[in-house]
Amino acid sequence: MSITDQLLEAVLLYGLPVLFGVILIASVGVPFPISMTLVAAGSFAKQGEMKLMPVIIAASIAAILGDQIGYGLSRWGGRSLVDRITRRFGGAAKIKRAEAVSKKWGGPGIFFSRWLVTALGPWLNFTSGVAHYPWRRFIVWDAPGEVLWVVLYVMLGYIFSDRVQYIAEILGNLGWAILAFIVAILLGWKLIRYFRPSGSVTV
Amino acid sequence: MKKLTWRQSLVAVAFLLSLSLGIFFVIRAVRPAIYWHYHQDEPIRGWMTMGYVAHSYHVPPYVLHQALGLPEKPHDKRPLREIAKEQNRSMDEIRTALLEAIVQARRPYPASPSPPTNPEASP
Repeated sequence: MSITDQLLEAVLLYGLPVLFGVILIASVGVPFPISMTLVAAGSFAKQGEMKLMPVIIAASIAAILGDQIGYGLSRWGGRSLVDRITRRFGGAAKIKRAEAVSKKWGGPGIFFSRWLVTALGPWLNFTSGVAHYPWRRFIVWDAPGEVLWVVLYVMLGYIFSDRVQYIAEILGNLGWAILAFIVAILLGWKLIRYFRPSGSVTV
Repeated sequence: MKKLTWRQSLVAVAFLLSLSLGIFFVIRAVRPAIYWHYHQDEPIRGWMTMGYVAHSYHVPPYVLHQALGLPEKPHDKRPLREIAKEQNRSMDEIRTALLEAIVQARRPYPASPSPPTNPEASP
């Protein structure tokens, strides 16, 4: 009896409130299998067990709200913790650099981690909060990404409503594949720079 | 060729590792797609409702209700696991009963397309 099965049963039996709660909690950072839940919700909508628009709206609001909670907790709670740790153990310079990176690349990172590389979502909420990424800009990148994620997954479940299990499996594995390839590209880039003669022109 | 430092070889190893992980997950993503193409039916699981199984296997719901000796209810949201518990049967028994009924229900129809001549999978 897996968590996935239990979640799906609960969503079927109790509908939107459970869907809302599960996605909210997962967006804060609890690793629930919500991709499968969203795809299944799309299928349930197709079969007339749930209504499509309320599913999309509830799931989107839950995801965005969950992100704000994750961001808020790390911005107002996490920051002081990080400060205390750096004061005792050092590493403040590294945190400063991470902040700079977050400010520069945070936007697209937030957007793509909402729907393409979802495994990074809660982590980026945390780093954005700790780095004091401006809240308004965070929402501007966050909300469209989350809505895209919800619509994409629910509609896939709606279209392939008789293949929920397969769709979720394919999506889950593709998500990890993309994450692995992004890491590979970053590391590959680093390697290329090692091998380039030091005097060459940088692109 | 420059000699790699300890740190650089670590990056190289990490690069190869992440690359192979990526390929591994692509293969894992493609596998269910291939399985789907040839087998069409997905395994019956405990979270599924009678309605979902009927929908997924493209059989009328009453066939499945009859198989489990249940009165037909249009929006029965109980998952199969729950039904199994109520009937004091294991999920395996439920699964077998349903699959038998599904095979029976499909019998009069022309055989489902066989794997080698299967055209573009249409959902």
